[in-house]
Amino acid sequence: MSSHAAGTIDHHHDHTTSTGIPNKKLFMWAFLASDCMFFGSLISTHLIYRLHPPPGSPSARDIFSIELTSFSTFILLMSSLLMALAVNAIQKGNVRSTRRNLLGTIFFGLIFLGCQVFEFNHFVHEKGLTLSNSIFGSTFYTLTGTHGCHVAIGVLWLTLMYIRTFKPVDADSGRYAWLTSTFAHFILFALTVVAWMYLVLHFIHTAQETGLNAEAFGTWAHENIVLLPIAVVFLIGLNLMGRARGATEFGEANAIDVEGAGLYWHFVDIVWIVIFTAVYLLEYL
Amino acid sequence: MDALARNDFIGKEEKAGAEKRPWILTRPTAKTGIVSWLTTVDHKRIGLLYGMSALFFFLVGGFEALMIRVQLAVPNNTFITHQLYNELFTMHATTMIFLAVMPLSAAFFNYIMPLQIGARDVAFPRLNGFAFWVFFAGAIILNVGWFVRSGAPDIGWFGYAPLTSRAYSNQFASDISTDLWVMGLQILGVSSVIGSLNFIVTIINLRAPGMTMMRLPVFTWMTLVTAFLIILSFPAITIALVELMMDRSFATNFFEVSNGGLPILWQHLFWVFGHPEVYILILPAMGIVSEILPTFSRKPLFGYPIVVFSGACIGFLGFGVWSHHMFTTGMGTVATAAFALMTMAIAVPTGVKIFNWIGTLWGGHLMMRTPMMFALGFVWMFMMGGFSGIMHSAAPADAQQQDSYFVVAHFHYVLIGGSVFGLLAGIHYWFPLICGRKVSEFWGKLSFWVVFIGFNTTFFPMHFLGLNGMPRRTAVYDGNMGWNTPNFIATVGAFILAIGIGIYFAVMIYTFFKGEKSGRDPWDGRTLEWAIPNPPPEYNFAVTPTVHARDAFWYEKHHQDEAAHDKEEHAAQESAHGIHMPSQSWFPFVTAFGLLFGGLSFACKDAINVFFAETLHQTGHNYGILLAIAGGALVFLGAYFWALEGPGGYHVHPDEEGSEAKGYGSHH
Amino acid sequence: MSAVTTTTPAAVDSHDHGESKFQIFIQIAMILAVITGVEIVIVYIPIVRWVVVSALLVLSLVKFMLVIFYFMHLRWDKLFCTVLFFIGLILAGGTTLALLALFAVGDSHPLDGGVPPF
Repeated sequence: MSSHAAGTIDHHHDHTTSTGIPNKKLFMWAFLASDCMFFGSLISTHLIYRLHPPPGSPSARDIFSIELTSFSTFILLMSSLLMALAVNAIQKGNVRSTRRNLLGTIFFGLIFLGCQVFEFNHFVHEKGLTLSNSIFGSTFYTLTGTHGCHVAIGVLWLTLMYIRTFKPVDADSGRYAWLTSTFAHFILFALTVVAWMYLVLHFIHTAQETGLNAEAFGTWAHENIVLLPIAVVFLIGLNLMGRARGATEFGEANAIDVEGAGLYWHFVDIVWIVIFTAVYLLEYL
Repeated sequence: MDALARNDFIGKEEKAGAEKRPWILTRPTAKTGIVSWLTTVDHKRIGLLYGMSALFFFLVGGFEALMIRVQLAVPNNTFITHQLYNELFTMHATTMIFLAVMPLSAAFFNYIMPLQIGARDVAFPRLNGFAFWVFFAGAIILNVGWFVRSGAPDIGWFGYAPLTSRAYSNQFASDISTDLWVMGLQILGVSSVIGSLNFIVTIINLRAPGMTMMRLPVFTWMTLVTAFLIILSFPAITIALVELMMDRSFATNFFEVSNGGLPILWQHLFWVFGHPEVYILILPAMGIVSEILPTFSRKPLFGYPIVVFSGACIGFLGFGVWSHHMFTTGMGTVATAAFALMTMAIAVPTGVKIFNWIGTLWGGHLMMRTPMMFALGFVWMFMMGGFSGIMHSAAPADAQQQDSYFVVAHFHYVLIGGSVFGLLAGIHYWFPLICGRKVSEFWGKLSFWVVFIGFNTTFFPMHFLGLNGMPRRTAVYDGNMGWNTPNFIATVGAFILAIGIGIYFAVMIYTFFKGEKSGRDPWDGRTLEWAIPNPPPEYNFAVTPTVHARDAFWYEKHHQDEAAHDKEEHAAQESAHGIHMPSQSWFPFVTAFGLLFGGLSFACKDAINVFFAETLHQTGHNYGILLAIAGGALVFLGAYFWALEGPGGYHVHPDEEGSEAKGYGSHH
Repeated sequence: MSAVTTTTPAAVDSHDHGESKFQIFIQIAMILAVITGVEIVIVYIPIVRWVVVSALLVLSLVKFMLVIFYFMHLRWDKLFCTVLFFIGLILAGGTTLALLALFAVGDSHPLDGGVPPF
């Protein structure tokens, strides 16, 4: 079998399978068909209970913030765009562009999750809607929470994919370092994400109380006097690790794996399209 | 095409000597011993693992049934407590459905289907191993209750809300029996869905050259339809179980009436799964029978396209009939009528299959061997179960039959007379292929007749018991209801059935160790699994077959020159780089273990916290949740290393006799 | 088989839409953003409820289809992938509708003061 120069792999046809569809792609589509039934059952539960609420049910309109949800919907749609661009990039063998787009997708995904954390927190503490004090709370948090878990798993998957793009070509020659550095990269990434999500959400919380001004910034910086520099160091470290040294073993041949992750990510997006309409928008009628 | 050939998407493979990977990413290579079983990715071994587990749990479920029948042999019996009775009927059903029939079907899907399509393995070998170990984890979780204070689950195999809530099912605060049931089924669901996704990709994508979809053996078709049913129906029960788990663990209100919950929702979600589930249980057996009847009539299957189409129809329509389990719940006239009509409609493709089987037998040269006896038994017994099923489909009649022993009679006729007979037939049929030995005709047929007589003696009287008003799931009945004699007969029948099963098992075990060796293709088979040596070599086919017609092997046998020519051509193509085999791996086992540990911890969290508080005097944290998180971390690590180790693979070069010289030769 | 990243220009693949796909994705993303904006505005417009509901459903459907056919590449893939996904989608949709219908029936209203059937 001849070796392949970039661009000569046909990403739409796998000649070793009976249908020409790559195995991993077929697997993913079958899985997504199954996931449709999964979310369908959850959405059915939510809609049934919204159509027949018990007396004394909270009013969704008083609780929801359509601006926040619209913003997070827009964010998720944009993350889908970046994901599509990432797949497109790797299919052309452009690893740098793939990395940028993967990071962008992860970043937007984290913003979405941050919005959701903020929203849940707000609903519980300021609106009094909990998981157990009403059927609306039960169905709402379970449905959107399950979707949020899917997003989180997607972010995790994409992060691991991003780190994978740094595997050196000679990794299997006895250099143990790549496995250790892979894990170090992942842990650093995870710590950075956690630290900054906390810092950003904390800032928003502070700004909510004292307004978006210098005083808020000052209070926030003061309260995070230890964490903030550490988080900056994490970010710098991540930036340093994100510079590939030497040839990496990641290219067009790996496009199918990025495409698989992409299919999952887009699916999570289309589920949100349904949830946004069925759970949020319909409440305003 | 070579089903596991190098393609652009598999990463580079190992080169001998040129690399030193970290120890944790080195693939295990043991071919014998326990490690070889724990790390296997060979579909045949995985099939055997499923089969052995299934047969073990079949005996467990059978024992549970005998306990039930002893209790019901005479009125007002005190053989067991009512609590134990509830646990027994719950576990008997759960065990038979999820731990016996489904994995036995999975054993055949795994072992036989890749052979029938001319493949060397399934599309994702490690994932296949993972599906088995996750099944094993689920089986453990479901049965843990027998060994702890909480006891086994006792809420019925269908777990109706609100009986399953903490308020009604917990006999003490940290009673975890229902939680074990919930978690066990969720984990079994993961196993089934993952296995089915693998089978779908395998059947669609890994067929040998010339094996078009309409040349697939019917068993493979039924594997495909069953796999679709599984991936599309299990999500519904998963969600129902998640909602129940949230209610029990996090005080949500999905089925909590006081806060607006509707317990009937559980019934709907459960049966949206539950009805396709019964087709999942029967279609594989129908597939097996569709292989056996043609082979032992020495005729092709009558009406192959219509049999395949009917199977697909049954699968599809099966999603539209679920509320026939709920005719007596007050859904309203329109809904009840709609589901009644759909249920009647689904009898049509089923009946079509039966007519086609009869058409297969008609005019054939019948060889009445043991597999044929079981297959014929299937056709007749399943038909009887179908008749009582049609009686249920008339909603007014069902108002009387619902929750009575008439239902018990119906589903045992279709499940034992149908599924079990079909699977027992399959074991006999493929035994020579898998073990290289032939089961004695006398003992095989004896086991059939004892099973047949015992089965009918047990369940036929139940039709009358049901119509005479005996309700299901009651531990005792009074002596003046007119139910005494049929119950006693049924118990006697159960013991005859047990003896029959005992003979069957004894025969199998004896034959495995000491049976007469069987030559290749003992039944003059029609499909490709018979083309290879028995027991099969690891790589299945020395040369990938070329398929020219339905009943591919039959065609090969009757067109020997053409077959030899195809073989030469393929051998030339393949012998250069040898046969690509998948490497073994620890990570399916490790990841599944993490799921077992995490799942069990979460299900038992109340009991774990009580243990930490009372025995270890630690109350600082929610230890159950912490252990569950630890399990989750192990799942993550197992999966991550699984991804990092890569697809791997090595090459073998079979010589003329089919034995192999393994090579790690550098590819091209 | 070399998998080292290269910067040689991509050879023409059988579809030859490498550059234009990038443009297509950007355009689709803009359309999706606009549709989302329209959905939010529509909710506040004082027109008949059923019109708004229908419009929302249609717009969501359009977004849904755009993502699956373009971002998820179904438009350019083998038809079987589309068939496979639509089996799951239609079954899920059908089951949802059936469940909603079942719970809408008068006989199954437990708490909102519906008249019992007997």
